Amino acid sequence: MAQARRDNEFDVIIVGGGITGAGTARDCAMRGLRVLLIERHDLATGATGRNHGLLHSGARYAVTDRESAEECIRENMILRKIARHCVEETEGLFITLPEDDLGYQAKFVESCLAAGINAEVIDPKDALRMEPSANPELIGAVKVPDGAVDPFRLTSANVIDAKLHGAKVLVYSEVTKLIKEGDTITGVEVYNAITKESAKYYAPITVNAGGIWGQRIAEMAGARINMFPAKGALLIFGHRVNNVVLNRCRKPANADILVPGDTICLIGTTSSRVPFGEVDNMYVTADEVDLLLQEGEKLAPSLATTRILRAYAGVRPLVATDDDPSGRNISRGIVLLDHETRDGIKGFISITGGKLMTYRLMAEWATDLVCKKLNIGKACRTMDTPLPGSENENIEEISKQTWAKPGTPHKATIGRHGARALNIGLKDGYDTSLVCECEEVSVGEVKYAIEELDVHNLVDLRRRTRVGMGTCQGELCACRAAGMLADAHQCTERTKNDLKNFINERWKGMYPVCWSDTLRESEYSQWIYSGVCGLEGPETHNEDNK
Amino acid sequence: MKFDTIIIGGGLSGLVCGIKLQKAGQKCAIVSAGQSAMHFSSGTFDLLGRLPDGTAVENPSEAAGRLDKGHPYSILGTEAVLKYADEAKDFFAECGISVSGDARKNSWRITPAGERKPAWLTLGDFTPLASKDEKIGNRALIVNILGYLDFNTKFLADSFEKQGTECRIAAVRLDEMERLRKNPSEMRATNIARVMDRDGIWEKAALQIKELIREEDVVVLPAVFGLKDASVVDKIRETIGVRTIFAATMPPSVPGIRTQMALRSEFEKAGGRFFLGDTVTGSECRENGEIESVGTVNFGDIRLHADNFVLASGSFFSKGMIASPSKIYEPIFGIDLNYAEGRGNWFDGCFWNRQNYISFGACTKDGLHASINGNTIGNLYVIGSLLGGSNTLYEGCGGGIAIITAMAAADSILNK
Repeated sequence: MAQARRDNEFDVIIVGGGITGAGTARDCAMRGLRVLLIERHDLATGATGRNHGLLHSGARYAVTDRESAEECIRENMILRKIARHCVEETEGLFITLPEDDLGYQAKFVESCLAAGINAEVIDPKDALRMEPSANPELIGAVKVPDGAVDPFRLTSANVIDAKLHGAKVLVYSEVTKLIKEGDTITGVEVYNAITKESAKYYAPITVNAGGIWGQRIAEMAGARINMFPAKGALLIFGHRVNNVVLNRCRKPANADILVPGDTICLIGTTSSRVPFGEVDNMYVTADEVDLLLQEGEKLAPSLATTRILRAYAGVRPLVATDDDPSGRNISRGIVLLDHETRDGIKGFISITGGKLMTYRLMAEWATDLVCKKLNIGKACRTMDTPLPGSENENIEEISKQTWAKPGTPHKATIGRHGARALNIGLKDGYDTSLVCECEEVSVGEVKYAIEELDVHNLVDLRRRTRVGMGTCQGELCACRAAGMLADAHQCTERTKNDLKNFINERWKGMYPVCWSDTLRESEYSQWIYSGVCGLEGPETHNEDNK
Repeated sequence: MKFDTIIIGGGLSGLVCGIKLQKAGQKCAIVSAGQSAMHFSSGTFDLLGRLPDGTAVENPSEAAGRLDKGHPYSILGTEAVLKYADEAKDFFAECGISVSGDARKNSWRITPAGERKPAWLTLGDFTPLASKDEKIGNRALIVNILGYLDFNTKFLADSFEKQGTECRIAAVRLDEMERLRKNPSEMRATNIARVMDRDGIWEKAALQIKELIREEDVVVLPAVFGLKDASVVDKIRETIGVRTIFAATMPPSVPGIRTQMALRSEFEKAGGRFFLGDTVTGSECRENGEIESVGTVNFGDIRLHADNFVLASGSFFSKGMIASPSKIYEPIFGIDLNYAEGRGNWFDGCFWNRQNYISFGACTKDGLHASINGNTIGNLYVIGSLLGGSNTLYEGCGGGIAIITAMAAADSILNK
């Protein structure tokens, strides 16, 4: 494409900095388009960062939704290649417990094989050897190619690549209006919450990748998408109880997936319909916590005595097709809407439905449609081009190039950033000082994130580096990282408010599960921050009410 | 084994009670799991900073009379609170711990976040401010140890500048610290203090700091000096030659740990037995419901007998109370606690709002006696943060409750 004439003119504007928007920005930029990506909060703040982080094999959908299952397994294999620094190849088990119908297993395996998923029935004893934390009473087990994927890293890597291909990224920028000329959307009006300024940006095509919030974006264009907000609550445990993804081999139900991820594991989810007005303020109820625990202990009995770090909930961006009250039988399928043919609105498309696993395919479909509308004949290359950080598969090799004697913090950094770790200065003694001891995040890595990864506050930093995600939930590291942000931003008041918001954001996830050791940790936090530090509530609440 | 009094919990409250009893001629034992709030001390003890209705307190001795009925101060009565508050200063002096402050007028401390909070007794390391907006000097040099992240120079500079003090931030680099820096998790207050305590190293640091001074009339340093011996702090002040203010760091607190060690050593010097790293597992009762003996993990079959028992086991953090999803209990004796039913009533969804659970704790009868199933236990006392009835964080009274209830319980035992 030719160079845009002005700074605020692009070929395509993508609204939404979740994984779908980030993936679409990357695909469009790789096909030579001049891209603007707009996100109203931080990257990966919506459903993208609020799920299991499960690298679905598709097996879960094999019986009920063949199309989704096929998409999942294809994308599963692609992500293992292009996003290896975001993926952990853990394998998965579907276990049958005495209370389940063992007859379901045969139908399950048959459906998996038909969808192209390599499902293998194994002896329950072998299953327990493979995953000792699994319920020893299991009567059946099927091995599938499930894995774990870090959605924050995956989003960040897509954004990095989009930027490397010339895309412009605006975070903390909310679309307040779509600019319409006749029956065509020609651009967006954006309010930047940091600079407190409004600006207009123009492009012949605007892509709505707003997830559940996409309904509002579509309304601004004058189109109606009936979203189906389905809340899913999850619990994070303080230890990595299992190394293999554990699923229940039965019709999908509550709390039947336990996924390991980095230092922790997650059980989920519940599914409940929520009014659209509540999607900005998801909280987890005591009943949901009790249900998740009760079902989780059936998968892995040791969860009963494992400390719970926090609870959180996300909203699935499902597009309503019928009145199913559970929200589970709705297809997880991808929905690509060309509003020109659907509603007579030109220059505007929506990409929604789908799931984390199929983000790349969603991006491909959306980009194909954008290119078709712009008469561009370039083919998609995202299925075989590694994401930044995943170019080199040998971690030993990376560390040799970077550090003479890599310690565990170096390894943790490579784990999070892959080959991009080469860009992180960790040579000087000060840079290797640990900011976050639970997750081994160093001064150098925090500096890199502040300078290179669109980090504006401590919560952003957590999503990029895992600062404060460990067992202490940001006890002391938050204060250390705040000091570094104060240096970078040269404003202590802003940093102090930021620190208060960060602490409060962690608390929102902790108080629903606050007893035993979690209450001990919380009391300690109160003593440190309200007592020793003498901090009181923030003057302005962050709008990001997670 | 037989003692006059056994104290469960070796934090501030348990130690103050133990020292007082032991010095009065009793034979005491303290069973301590080893954790204590002293390890993350703010450098001061607070007596009362704010009333539950939000009114700021200038004169704690007067305001103590305006607290709710269930507050530990109300249980003891204003007169007793004031008596023990005055006694506390001499008490610490006798233990060789230098403190300043007055129960009739709060002073102010500088927090690690650069805030200012009311304080009662201030440890000798720190400089109490007479008013909330006292200016510490015209020009301040704030010096950190290179690579130490738990001392936020920016937050401090910002707060001093508000009072018109011009600030400059600098860092000293010491070869002796490089070994700590090799292992990146080692740059913490206590480790730095251990290195500084070694021969001549604090002096080297102080001379380096002195070299950095240009026109500054005040130097601000992190309180990471003198883990074993407080005199290092004064020697640094002398060496630097300019007014030097030590500011509290994020945990661990070097002056707090030193104070805890000094109290323990005072207790042992007086003949008390300090059983560190042990946990009380259960108790046996007499027919009248009083406690006959307790058992511990380390003593196994050997029971520890005493005439009186003092429970100074702390709140949730120290496992003085334990919360399950549906209830809260005291794990050793099962004493009666005051708390709200239903965990939805324990918390506020905003971290910065007052949290109910902070005010949960033991309900006492006839002074500081514990009760079990509503029956007063004549020889079991509760002191310190296990006591309920006060949101100590909001009211700023945790230190005062720990010290004053400890002294009151000791007197009650001695006057039996």
